[in-house]
Amino acid sequence: MGTDDISAELTRNTKNAPPELLTRVFFFICAALSVVTTASIVVLLVSEAAKFFSVTAPLVGFAGETVSMVDFLTGTTWQVGSGEYGVLALVSATILITVGAGVISIPLGVATAIYLSEYASTRARSILKPALEVLAGIPTVVYGFFALIYITPAIQTLLPDTGTFNLAAASTVVGIMIIPMVASISEDAMSAVPDELKQAGYGMGATKFDVSTGIVVPAALSGIFSSFILALSRAIGETMAVTVAAGSQANFLPPWDPTSYLEGALPMTAAMIQLLLSDITGGGLAYRSLFAIGLTLFVLTLTMNIISDVITQRYREEY
Amino acid sequence: MATEDRTIDGFGQVSRTVGTVFRYLLLAATLIGIVALVILLLFVANDAIQPLTADPGWHLTFFATLVVPTLAVGGYLASRNQSAAAVGVGTIGLAVVTTMFAGGLSLIFVDIVDSITWAAAVLTLAVPTAAVVAIARVSNRSPLELLAVAVILYYVSLFGVPGPLRSVVGTGQLLPGVGSVVASIPVLPVDWMLLFATFTLPVAVVVRYYARQLVDDRTATAIVAVGLVAVAIAATAAPTAGITPVPATVLASVVLLPTMTYVTTTALSRPHDRVGLALPGAVFGGSLLGAVAVRTLGYAGPQAWVDWQFLTSAHSRNAIDAGLYPAIGGSILLMLTVAVLSFPLGVGAAIYLEEYAPDNKLTRLIDVNISNLAGVPSVVYGLLGLGVFVRYFGQPSGTVLVGGATLALLILPIVIISSREAIRSVPNELRQASYGMGATRWQTVKNVILPRSFSGVLTGTILALGRAIGETAPLIMIGAPDVLFSLPADLSSKVSAMPLQVFAWSSLYATPEFYQRAVPAGVVVLVSVLLSMNSVAIVLRNKFE
Repeated sequence: MGTDDISAELTRNTKNAPPELLTRVFFFICAALSVVTTASIVVLLVSEAAKFFSVTAPLVGFAGETVSMVDFLTGTTWQVGSGEYGVLALVSATILITVGAGVISIPLGVATAIYLSEYASTRARSILKPALEVLAGIPTVVYGFFALIYITPAIQTLLPDTGTFNLAAASTVVGIMIIPMVASISEDAMSAVPDELKQAGYGMGATKFDVSTGIVVPAALSGIFSSFILALSRAIGETMAVTVAAGSQANFLPPWDPTSYLEGALPMTAAMIQLLLSDITGGGLAYRSLFAIGLTLFVLTLTMNIISDVITQRYREEY
Repeated sequence: MATEDRTIDGFGQVSRTVGTVFRYLLLAATLIGIVALVILLLFVANDAIQPLTADPGWHLTFFATLVVPTLAVGGYLASRNQSAAAVGVGTIGLAVVTTMFAGGLSLIFVDIVDSITWAAAVLTLAVPTAAVVAIARVSNRSPLELLAVAVILYYVSLFGVPGPLRSVVGTGQLLPGVGSVVASIPVLPVDWMLLFATFTLPVAVVVRYYARQLVDDRTATAIVAVGLVAVAIAATAAPTAGITPVPATVLASVVLLPTMTYVTTTALSRPHDRVGLALPGAVFGGSLLGAVAVRTLGYAGPQAWVDWQFLTSAHSRNAIDAGLYPAIGGSILLMLTVAVLSFPLGVGAAIYLEEYAPDNKLTRLIDVNISNLAGVPSVVYGLLGLGVFVRYFGQPSGTVLVGGATLALLILPIVIISSREAIRSVPNELRQASYGMGATRWQTVKNVILPRSFSGVLTGTILALGRAIGETAPLIMIGAPDVLFSLPADLSSKVSAMPLQVFAWSSLYATPEFYQRAVPAGVVVLVSVLLSMNSVAIVLRNKFE
C-alpha cells in the first residue's frame, strides 16, 4: 500500500459513510415519531370533534347528526340516550375530583419534598424515595377498587348519607396517587436551591425550620407551583380509579358545595369509558361525542402543562 | 446595664419545640401516603389469601420451621455482616423474580409457541447472523457489501431460493428456507431437547458472560456446564414429579441456571460473604420442611383465592371458578409487543436528541413535544389507537398488535425521557476520548455511550413497561374484550389483560362474590408482578449508579 492509500484510508470523511448515515437517519426518525404522534392526536381529535358540532360540521363537509357547541359547553345534562350532551355535568365532577385530590396531595406532597430535601438522612431517602415511586406505580384500576371496597365503607361509617359511588373516595385515591408527582418535582426544585443561600441562613443563626420555610421554599416556589399544576393535570386525566369509584350516573354537582363529595357523578374520563363500553355504533353521534370530550380533555391538560412550563421558565429564580 | 439587658432579652433564644414539631409533622406527612397504601394492600391480601382460615397448627408449624430460623439468620447477618446479608437477600430475590419470569415464559412455550416453531425461528435468524459475523471477521469488506450480503442471507434463510420471487423468476422452489428445513426433518428430537438447544444454550451464553466478570474464564465455563447438566437432568426427571418436560426445561433454564451460577460465583469470588447463603437456605429449606410437616401432621392451609386453579383457568360466571389465565397470557404478550416496539424507538430518539441533534428549532420542537406528550392522559392515547389504528388503518379492534402499539406510544415519552437522563450521565471525557481515537459518531454511540448507559436505560424501560401493563383505559378504548376464554394465538387475535380482567370483575360482574374473591385475588397477582418489576428496576439502578 502506498502512502497515498494509507492517508486516504485514515482521513476519509466518514460523516456520510453508509453506517453513519443509516444510523443517523434511523435515530432521527425515532425522534421525529413523537412529532407525528402529537400531530395525529391533534388531527384526529379536531377532525372528529368538528363533525360533532353543528357550527363546524359544514366546514369539514359533514352532514350527519350534530350538536350545538353552545349546548355542549353550557348544558348541565349528559344523557346520551336522549341526545343531551351537556359537558358541564362531566366537567363539574372532574373539577370536584381534581380539587379534592389537590387538597390531599398538595400539602402532603410539599411536606414530603421538604422532608426529603432538607431533613432526611441518606439512608432514609434511599428507602422513602422507592416507596413513593411504588405509590405511583400501582395500577389505577387497583386504586379504584380500593376506593370502592375499603374507603367508601369507611366514609359511610362516619357519614351514613354517602352513596356507594361517591367523589370523596375517588378523590382520596387520586390524591394518594399523585403525591409522588408533587413530591418529586418539588424536591427537584428544592435541591436546585444553591447551598450558599442555605449556609448564609445558617450563618445568620437561623434554625433548620427557618431555613426550610424562609429560604428553601420561597426560592423553589416556581418549581413547587409547576408541580401542583402538573399533578392536577394528571388528576384530570386520571381514568380507571374514577371510573370504578365515582359512579356511572352523569349528574351536575355544584363544585362550590362540599356535600357534592358524598354523591356519585360521572367525570369526563369515566364518561368516555362508559360510552365505549355501551356498544356505540361506529360513526354515530355518541362515537363522535367521545372525540369532543377527548378534545376538551386534551386542550385542558395541554394548557396546564404549558402553563407549568411557562412558570418554571419565567419565574425561576436565577442564581 | 438596663439597656443591655433589654437587647439581650429574647435574642439568640431559639425554640427547639417548633423545629422538632415541624420535623415530625413532615415525617408524618411523608409516611401517610405510604402507610395508607400498605394498609390497603394488607386488606386486599387478607381478602385474597384468608390466612385466618388455616389451622392454628399450620401457622405454628410454619412459624417454627420458617419464621424463627429466617429471623434468627437474618438478624445475625444484618448485625454482623451486611454484605453477606445483601448476598442472601439477592439470592432469594433472584430466585423469586426468575421463577415469576419462568412462569410467564412457560405459559408462552406451552400454549402459544410450540418448541418446533421456536427452534425454527431461532435457527432462521441465527444461521445468517453467524454467517454475516464470520464474513465480517474474515474479510475486510466495505459496509455496503456486507449489508447486501446480509440482506441476501436473511432472505434465503427466511424464504429459501427463490422464495416469494418464484413468479418473477419462473422456476420452482430450488432451496427451502431454514425454518421449513427444521419443520420437515422427519425424525425430530424430543421437544424439550429442541428447547434445550435453542433456548437454554443462549441463556447459558448470557449467564456465562456475567459469570466471567466475577471468576476466571475456565471456572465460569465449568459452572455453566454443570448448570446445563442440571437443566438436562431436571427436564428428564420432571415427568416423575408430574411436570411435563417443556415447562420443566424453561423453569430450570431461567431459575436454576442463573441462581446456581450466582451462588457459586459469589461463593468463589467473595469468601467472606459465603455465610450469607445461609439466609436463602433458611427460607427455602424452612418452607420445604414446613410443607412436609403440615402434610404429615394433616393441618389444613388457608383457603386462599390465589391458587393454582385461579392462575390456570379462565373467567367464569361463578366467582369461585373464575381465573386469570387468559389475562395473564394477554398481559405477557402485550408486554413483549410493547417492549419490542418502544425500546428501539425510545432509545433511538434519546440517542438522537443527546448525541446527534443540532441546536435548532426542530430539535427544540421535538424536545417540548416529548415533555408534553408525557402529560397526555392515557384515554387520549386510547382514542388515538381507536381512531388511527382501528378506524384509519382498518386493523381489527382489540388485538395484541393494536393494543401493544397503543401502549408503546403511551410509554414512548417516558422511555425517551429516562433514556436521555441515562445517556446524559455518561461522562463527557469518555466521548471526547473516543472521538480523539478517531472513532466516528456511530462507533462512539455503539462502543461507549450505549454500554455505559445501558443499565440506566434498562431501569427506565422496566419502569415504563410496568406502567404499560397496569394500564386499562387504552385497552378498553381500542375495544379489547372484557372477557376472553382462551389465550391469544397470534398478534392479530383479541387480547385481554390483567387490569382489564380486574376491571371487568369489579364493574360488570359487581357481585359480593366477585368483590370478595376474584377481584382481590386478581389485584394481588397484578400488584405482585408490578412490585417485582419495580424492585428489579430499583436494584439495577442502585447497583450501577
